[in-house]
Amino acid sequence: MKYLLLLNNDGAAVDSWRELSAEEAAARRAEEIPRWNTLFAWAGEQGIDLDGLELDDPNQARVVRVRDDETTVTDGPFAETKEQIGGYFLAECKDLDQAIELAQRVPVATTGSVEIRPIAE
Amino acid sequence: MKVLALIWSDESNWDRLSEDERKEWYGKYRSFSQAADGKLAGGDELAPTQAATTVRVRDGETVVTDGPFAETREQLGGYFVLDVESLDEATELAAKIPGAWHGSVELRAAAEEEAS
Repeated sequence: MKYLLLLNNDGAAVDSWRELSAEEAAARRAEEIPRWNTLFAWAGEQGIDLDGLELDDPNQARVVRVRDDETTVTDGPFAETKEQIGGYFLAECKDLDQAIELAQRVPVATTGSVEIRPIAE
Repeated sequence: MKVLALIWSDESNWDRLSEDERKEWYGKYRSFSQAADGKLAGGDELAPTQAATTVRVRDGETVVTDGPFAETREQLGGYFVLDVESLDEATELAAKIPGAWHGSVELRAAAEEEAS
């Protein structure tokens, strides 16, 4: 089964990143890398194939709608929510239980959330 | 650059469509995918949000809840990964995604690779 895992960052965490200088952000990033590497190592052991992207600041998002052939583009993410999608994984897992096992190991699960969405058959 | 295009739409509308109407929409998506060939790096249709599971870990405890992380007027129903030169090109492409004609397409650029 293929699952899309949406990695949702807590809004306060997103704000705190914005306050960091480039050097501070690089240092914090370096600090977090081992936790991500632990996740990738675990996924490798389980034979879970992972693909994904880290996304830019939600403030850089655009929303596109077309009504009556008119395109409207608005700035900012689609929904004003407490948590914002910061990245995703596409994972081939045995079942939902394994996807949950994977989700709970994603570092953002400790401060934000990981939403698991099965891919339509 | 890679841009994630998240397709949000009211999934109750989809539930109300007949089999033929659904086929018609799938046809429109196929046409989009063919026309955008070379600028697509991936994409999938998601199972409805009733199949969503949200996982949080607090103080070492895993909390699993049914449903999406946020209740929204429109729901995430699918995505494409666009491989484009700019966010403007992604915007042009997004307007051709059938979901943009009745729902919303949110564009999220990939974070720039950190030079290390």
